[in-house]
Amino acid sequence: MKLGIARKLALLLTLVGALASGLTGLYAYQSSRQLLIESAQDKLLTSTQVLARRIALSRQEITRNLGVLARHPASKSVLQSGDAAQAGQLSTLFCLLMAENPSYFQIRLISASDHGLERVRVDRQGDALLEVKDDELQEKGHYPYVAETLKLQAGEFYLSEIAVNHERGTYAGLDEPALQLATPVTDAGGTAIGVIVVNIDLNGMFSLLAADLPASFRLFLANDKGDILIHPDARRTFGFDKGRRVLIEEEFPPTRDVVEGRVAHVVFDAGEPSGSDVPVVAAFISQLVEIPSHEQRLILGLAQPRAEVVAQAHQLGIAILQIVLGLCLGCLLLAALLARAFTRPINILESAAQGFASRHPSAALPVERQDEIGALARSFQKMQDQITKQLEDLQNNQQELEHMAQHDMLTGLPNRRLFVSRLDKAMAHARRYGGEASVLFIDLDDFKNVNDRCGHDTGDIVLKAIAQRLLTMMREGDTIARIGGDEFVALLGASTSHDQLVAVAEKLLAGIREPIDINGVELKVGASIGISRYPQDGQTVSELLATADNAMYTVKARGHGGFRFSSKVAD
Amino acid sequence: MPIPHPNRRQFCGALAAAVPGWARAAETLRVLAWPGYADADFVRSFEQKHGSRVEVTLIDSDLDLWTKITANSAQDFDVFAVNTAELQRYIRKGLVVGIAADSIPNLARQRPRFRDLAAIPGIVRNGTVYAIPYTYSEMGLIYDRQRMASAPDSIEALWDERYHGEVIAYNGGTHNFSLAALSLGLKSPFRLDDKDWPRAVDRLIALRRNVTGFYTRPDESVGLFKRRKAALMFANYGKQQLQMCKAAGLDVGYALPREGALAWLDCWVVTRGARNPKLAAAWINHLLEDAPSQALVTRQGLGSTTSAESAGEAGEKLRWLQPVESEEHRNQLWGRILSGDRASKVLAS
Repeated sequence: MKLGIARKLALLLTLVGALASGLTGLYAYQSSRQLLIESAQDKLLTSTQVLARRIALSRQEITRNLGVLARHPASKSVLQSGDAAQAGQLSTLFCLLMAENPSYFQIRLISASDHGLERVRVDRQGDALLEVKDDELQEKGHYPYVAETLKLQAGEFYLSEIAVNHERGTYAGLDEPALQLATPVTDAGGTAIGVIVVNIDLNGMFSLLAADLPASFRLFLANDKGDILIHPDARRTFGFDKGRRVLIEEEFPPTRDVVEGRVAHVVFDAGEPSGSDVPVVAAFISQLVEIPSHEQRLILGLAQPRAEVVAQAHQLGIAILQIVLGLCLGCLLLAALLARAFTRPINILESAAQGFASRHPSAALPVERQDEIGALARSFQKMQDQITKQLEDLQNNQQELEHMAQHDMLTGLPNRRLFVSRLDKAMAHARRYGGEASVLFIDLDDFKNVNDRCGHDTGDIVLKAIAQRLLTMMREGDTIARIGGDEFVALLGASTSHDQLVAVAEKLLAGIREPIDINGVELKVGASIGISRYPQDGQTVSELLATADNAMYTVKARGHGGFRFSSKVAD
Repeated sequence: MPIPHPNRRQFCGALAAAVPGWARAAETLRVLAWPGYADADFVRSFEQKHGSRVEVTLIDSDLDLWTKITANSAQDFDVFAVNTAELQRYIRKGLVVGIAADSIPNLARQRPRFRDLAAIPGIVRNGTVYAIPYTYSEMGLIYDRQRMASAPDSIEALWDERYHGEVIAYNGGTHNFSLAALSLGLKSPFRLDDKDWPRAVDRLIALRRNVTGFYTRPDESVGLFKRRKAALMFANYGKQQLQMCKAAGLDVGYALPREGALAWLDCWVVTRGARNPKLAAAWINHLLEDAPSQALVTRQGLGSTTSAESAGEAGEKLRWLQPVESEEHRNQLWGRILSGDRASKVLAS
């Protein structure tokens, strides 16, 4: 398909428009997607920090509860005197606290004496709370939460490492991830006489803390060595307890900096975390444990499926796509209009040029426009005008040349060439239609004397005057031509009788002999005329002219003018 | 004209040449080992050599090992390390299979004492070789030289009230009952009679009351020793722990009690669930190479079956572990003792 400039222009404009809007759209989409991811990361980081704060608050609450229990007079009296009634009260208090705090697996009062014998103990067993008594109470002095807590001052707390609890007797908490918080119970002298220990359900506590997080958020917790403690896939937690460590930095390499303590937090966009099937956007922070503990820090993280974050970008993408398509359509329309606006004047110019070439009148050119097209139209019109004028001049010149080629310069009469042509035509006509043609060869007598006496200028005036007279004397359709200095020929086309020819010859002679006034001097010129007729005097132009010429010379030889026929053929 | 292309065999050959070990890459050797037996560098060199992947799971007690192996009838692992005494119940239950000695050329590198497999109790049964000796140690006493003027000469030191709250012991039922039997002067620490149980249980409760804590992993024991400022520790892992304590900057000594030190010989065995027994044998052979054997001595402080005997070793009074009357019973009772139950509860059926 041949593409016109309008189509090309429209196509180009549309392409440029589409490209510009497409690129802008793409950029807008990508940067907004990046912004979304970044904002999701910020949001995750904030959520993680909020969660960490909640953990701290939750831990503070636990320590507050522990503190209250440790300072409770019943605790001291049970440890010092083994008061059963007080033990019952304390047990009720434990039950109340555990009922209020579902993440407490167990609360115990353990004595420093009797090898760390438990004095009051409440276990959670399923949904029920169980008061453990008498023989069921165990000696716990060899467990770190007793051995190490007893070394603390009043008001100080022990926090165990977070581990899977294999300690038999903690019913609901057996083989569950747990941590222990403990504080010493001191006597009046400040000596530790026992400890209050609470066993916390790690998963329970965290699921409570994270309960109002969006359902798609995944929670991660690792200890300061990077061992994963909480993970959406429970098989990946507490690897060290199963003999094969599973580290958070192996699943999310960017967390290595947090685990190794180089940074306090990290946010990242994990394309394909190992072990986890979905790409996530995540934030991890390192939280200092404010209680002296085996663990200096915990690493807490939240992750959100990337698809969910990008889903918003998807909607945005569709909106952007619609805008881009709209813009493209607008571009197309605008391009078509623009192309038309550009090409219409060009088309007018083009048709003007074509019309000019074929000499058709062209439409009005847009010369009134003030732009380049107006200038072009004006230039074109000027050029058109110039060319038209030059063509007219050329035609005039040509006509003049043609006239000059066929006419005598001096007298304006047809010259020999035109005469021969007309004679030829007349003879052809006569041959065809059975007519006649006559040639009168007229030679001025003694014209040489006029030239010699009066000068060539006068001669020329005489010739002009005679030519004029001869012309006026000719009938319409006849031709008078000058074929030499003082030689004229007349062609009488239609059939002319002998008498008529005689009359014409005499009339011509009389006309020539009329005096010519030149600056008050009258000049008289005579003439000799030879007459030849077609077909009897010759079959060709030159024969006819030659016979007329001969007849004229015969007259001239007689010396006093007049005329003579080449042949005496009667009518 | 069609472009000639290599046939499938040529193609696969080219691919296999381009990716060494490609065909075997999917293969994973599942190793169950004690701390220090499968260091990362030797795992890596094995993986490179055999083009397979090694998945190491660590165990820290005989009970842990038994639990992991029996959990899925030995289908979860290919090869593991166990002492000759514990091995017996694995053989009895058909959890391990025989090993073709000729598949392990490095057996020739072992000292004659370990090369004569039939002479080592518990390794050969009915003419089938079930285990390849790897490393051994006695279980001595580690003591703080600042706190104890002289090296403890008896395991009684573990019960010594002077060190109340400064003793660290191992959390393992089988060994602890043997320890109690030794301290009670019983005929055999590995065979407790019905009448011996209450005494042994009392002895272990007394031990529990004297200690500040129990450990399972060697690194855990070092941390505990340091943190609790302990005076004495029963070293279940022997000199491996001694070496680690010293590396941790502790001024410690090592002593073998006059009652005789319990000693274990750990062997590599192949499970009946082994996917590729040849690869398992290659693993055992690999660990008997010079470098891993040397590392056992230099890094872990353990005895290697391929290097020369250390001075004085032969003269020490060692009680090589023997199968006990019932691991299950011992572990059950020990579980109760550890939880803090008193004697009546422990012995309740």
